Amino acid sequence: MSKLEINDLRISIGEKPIVKGLNLTIKQGEVHAIMGPNGTGKSTLAKAIAGHPDYTITGGDVLLDGKSILTMAPDERARAGLFLAFQYPSEIPGVSIANFLRAAVQARMTEGEELDASGYYKRLYSKMDLLKIDRKFTSRSVNEGFSGGEKKRCEILQMAMLEPKIAVMDETDSGLDIDALRIVADGVNTLRSGPLGIMLITHYQRLLDYIVPDFVHVMYDGRIVKSGDKTLALELEAKGYDWVKQELVAANA
Amino acid sequence: MSSVSTTSITGSFTREVFNAHLERVKHLPAWWLDRKRAAYERFVALPMPKRTNEGWRFSNLSTLTLDGFRLEPTIPNVLSAPPLSNVAAASLTFVNNALAVRTATAADILSQHGIVFDNLQTALLQHGDLIKAHLLAQPSKLGSDKFAALHEAFLEDGAFVYVPKGIEASLPVSVFHHASGPGSAVFPHTLVIAESNSKITVADFFRSKKGEDAHFACGGNDLYAGHGAQVTYVAMQDWSRESLSFQFNAIVARRDAKVLSLNLHAGARQARHESFSQLQAPGAHSEMLALTVAQGTQEFDQRTLQIHQAPNTSSNLLYKNALLDQAKTIFSGLIVVDPDAQKTDAYQSNRNLMLSDEAEANSLPGLEIRANDVRCTHGATSARIDAEQEFYLKARGISATQAQELLVFGFFEEVLGKIENEQLHDQLTTIIRAKFKQ
Amino acid sequence: MKPPTEIETAETVENPVVGIDQTAGNFSYKVDYAFDAGTGLNEDTVRYISTVKKEAPWILEFRLKALKTFFEKPMPTHWATKDLENINFDKIRYYLSQGQKPKRTWDEVPDDIKKTFERLGIPEQERKFLAGVEAQFDSEAAYSNIKDIVAKQGVIFVNSTEGLREHPEIFKKFFGKVIPTGDNKFSALNSAVFSGGSFIYVPPGVKVAQPLQAYFRINAENFGQFERTLIIADEGSEVVYMEGCTAPKFTTSTLHSAVVELVALKGAKIQYITVQNWANNVFNLVTKRGVAHENAEIKWIDCNIGSRLTMKYPGVVLKGEGARGEVLSIALANDGQHQDTGAKMIHAANNTTSNIIAKSISVGQGRSTYRGVVHIPKHLKGCKNNTECDALLINSNSRTDTYPAITVRGDRNATQHEASVSKVSEDMIFYMQQRGLTEAQAMSLAVNGFINDLARQFPMEYSVELKRLIDLEMEGSVG
Repeated sequence: MSKLEINDLRISIGEKPIVKGLNLTIKQGEVHAIMGPNGTGKSTLAKAIAGHPDYTITGGDVLLDGKSILTMAPDERARAGLFLAFQYPSEIPGVSIANFLRAAVQARMTEGEELDASGYYKRLYSKMDLLKIDRKFTSRSVNEGFSGGEKKRCEILQMAMLEPKIAVMDETDSGLDIDALRIVADGVNTLRSGPLGIMLITHYQRLLDYIVPDFVHVMYDGRIVKSGDKTLALELEAKGYDWVKQELVAANA
Repeated sequence: MSSVSTTSITGSFTREVFNAHLERVKHLPAWWLDRKRAAYERFVALPMPKRTNEGWRFSNLSTLTLDGFRLEPTIPNVLSAPPLSNVAAASLTFVNNALAVRTATAADILSQHGIVFDNLQTALLQHGDLIKAHLLAQPSKLGSDKFAALHEAFLEDGAFVYVPKGIEASLPVSVFHHASGPGSAVFPHTLVIAESNSKITVADFFRSKKGEDAHFACGGNDLYAGHGAQVTYVAMQDWSRESLSFQFNAIVARRDAKVLSLNLHAGARQARHESFSQLQAPGAHSEMLALTVAQGTQEFDQRTLQIHQAPNTSSNLLYKNALLDQAKTIFSGLIVVDPDAQKTDAYQSNRNLMLSDEAEANSLPGLEIRANDVRCTHGATSARIDAEQEFYLKARGISATQAQELLVFGFFEEVLGKIENEQLHDQLTTIIRAKFKQ
Repeated sequence: MKPPTEIETAETVENPVVGIDQTAGNFSYKVDYAFDAGTGLNEDTVRYISTVKKEAPWILEFRLKALKTFFEKPMPTHWATKDLENINFDKIRYYLSQGQKPKRTWDEVPDDIKKTFERLGIPEQERKFLAGVEAQFDSEAAYSNIKDIVAKQGVIFVNSTEGLREHPEIFKKFFGKVIPTGDNKFSALNSAVFSGGSFIYVPPGVKVAQPLQAYFRINAENFGQFERTLIIADEGSEVVYMEGCTAPKFTTSTLHSAVVELVALKGAKIQYITVQNWANNVFNLVTKRGVAHENAEIKWIDCNIGSRLTMKYPGVVLKGEGARGEVLSIALANDGQHQDTGAKMIHAANNTTSNIIAKSISVGQGRSTYRGVVHIPKHLKGCKNNTECDALLINSNSRTDTYPAITVRGDRNATQHEASVSKVSEDMIFYMQQRGLTEAQAMSLAVNGFINDLARQFPMEYSVELKRLIDLEMEGSVG
């Protein structure tokens, strides 16, 4: 059973501390929602776990299956089973989705092992159909000229093809209308049945109606300050983030 | 084509003429006179441009002649009020190189805040150090060394604008250079020094006395924007249709400074304009704009250089030319990014609107990029008026010439729209409109 | 003129493409040449060449006149790089011809060369040819094959010597007309000492199905350094010609100065594809131009990866109404290399269109330069040009320059030129890494993506080799 352990993690951007001691464990099969006001470090957490060079880990550790990933390069972490669904996915001009994914799938195979082309395409098309992505998109350049919804669906497609152990989804719902949201959520839910642990970062409760979390954590000022089950999300929706802030202030008084 | 000798050519600007000029300015500081003498020697020694000079590619060199001009000492006694005089905080009018009129709308409002707006001759005596540091301090890099030297040698008077730290001038200042008398040669100069976090708008007009024939103009302009300063400079060149004109702009932008320079080219039979921006410190930005209406057999030769010398600097150049009759334009623009100037954003765009069968537009956009983390683009297009748009206007009852004028203004609006000052904007529009009436 | 026993290699530089040091003693040719004009250039050299080839007197006269022009013209260093001054004309051999097979074995070939061929996917037979182990690699057989097929259609496909000898009427009509001797210093040089190159004539209406390749035709005069190619496509005909290969070419000479003239008569189509990968000590100065008549089409697909300095500006003169010219160019410059390439489009008739797409990649201290000329003169109407040049800078000390010149007259023509410079964004690389690709793999994908639109226009075999070649070049540039 795979798990991602985040122990007292501290992250800075340059000199500025953003995440100030975060603890969280995500096991395969679990969906953990991370909510919080803007600027509280949610995206920082996601990108830093993936190894983005802009962020510095100043303390703590992140372990995947008991092994620290902090010294691993971003691609090593990915091949070890970590997937990040970006909030703002990059465009890669001139590189088709088919070729890109093939390269990524191939990268996980052992040296010398050849990719079975027809098997690969069969899988790719079935996932595309599931996510209602036109099969013609295989020849389009990754994310180039895609609408917000198309980009997010493309992220989920990649997740489906690469079969990670732990997926960190960074505000996947931002910029999506209700229909796109539903399609994305359906896609994620089908993957849930497999051995996959998900960290679902979201600002709004709405997504959680569709991807029902097992755990909800509230992040504030670089830490998780409150944890609960899915009802916590509803409470947040009703009372707003200020409620959490007030509770904290009261607790520290 | 007249033969171009490989030895120096002085034309009308002989040593005698130069010495006479020196006599007139002998009261100015010695260091300045020394510089002028050295400049004159350079002028004499340098050859006229040749066809093989890359910096003169496509230019018509046979009509580039320095003969037939004189330094006209007389000042006509009646002048129309300088443009913008009713809205500018102050204005200076020069006629044939001499200060003729000084007006101030809001008396002394400028000096109250420490802003200096004076003629160069006075400034040379009172602010010598400042002038020494900035007047013609930048190298001539676009091919007109000979003419830049001529300018320095014969520069008699011009405008000096100095804005101290943190002072923002809410009204513009304007300078009016006027040429009068047959063959009159003028050497206008405007020097603007904006200290840190200051703000100023300067408008420069160049005009020949109405109905007169060939004048010679060889003008320069230095803009220095210190840390966080904002400088807007608008120059309107409207010499007589037979004149020969040179104009050199040098812009230095320091940290976080923003400079906007707009040059409107309407007059002269042949006009060479060189504009050179140096982005010297992070956050510096230079916006280089130009509008040209080329008619008859006019030739407008515009050469620019954007040099990025520090990281995180930006520049944006937009030069729009409308060409009619048998007119000709040349645009040559180079963006240079030094190896250390990472994260530079530099853009350059030359758009030519061809309005006649025989007009000619030449574009030489260039890039020399030595840092890799940059965004640099340049583009040049030449096209006629959109047929669909033209038809649409005509279908609403608008005449062909009127439609053309409307569409040309539409074409120019992208540049005109960047001028915040309404009166300046109107002034520019008036000059453009007048050209279409010709 | 004594045949040498060893080839002089001029000062050579380590070739980063294959990591081969050509100054190393273990890789040198030991060949006996049947014909050798010696070093240096003078009238005798030219006469020697003409005699050996048994040329008609008019050709000798042509050569001698060209030699004079060559000596008269100065080096164009007022706009081109001063590196040109490093060419030592006296030290160059202007004509060498092999009479015998080279005496070496495959075992003697260094391992890294063998590995390069493997990585580039060069077929077994070709490898031996390219490594200098064999005089030809089955090219005769492949060549004869093609020759038979196209001969049935009346197509002439021979080398320039044979062309001059067997078909002087056709040759004379077009030879030296597209690129006159005095066009530039190097076209003059070529006109004096040219040897090798193809002569192709396609009769009216014939559409040659298979691309014709220079490869097949290489025989005794290997590594033609002063190739002269002339391709004439008669009315309504179509032909595709390919020259060069992705494997690094080890040449006995440091100067390669070719001239290629194309003539597309009414309604004809010519496509000329070049992949250039000369070793890093070579000055590659080429003049290429085509004339497109009414409704004809000429397309140059040019890929420059090797050489120390390449100066090449394929051009099309759009002479007939409705003619179309296109230049698609990919240039890759690595350490010690300068790719100075571009295009020239001269519009000389109504309703002609030209299209230029140039993509360059500068790696390490490599320098790439784009120079273009687009000229649309007075009284023409309906002409259009579109130019796009994009540069990708990989390392912080890579360099790119762009110098286009566009002249338009009249209000019935339109031109559009766009150029951009960028680097591969860090975010893009990170995104790909997060999908499991190493930094190098990500960079390779990004770079190939950059040139994808153009690479797709190459015939399949080339585009695969091209991708591999670029990957090879990029190695070590990242991280």
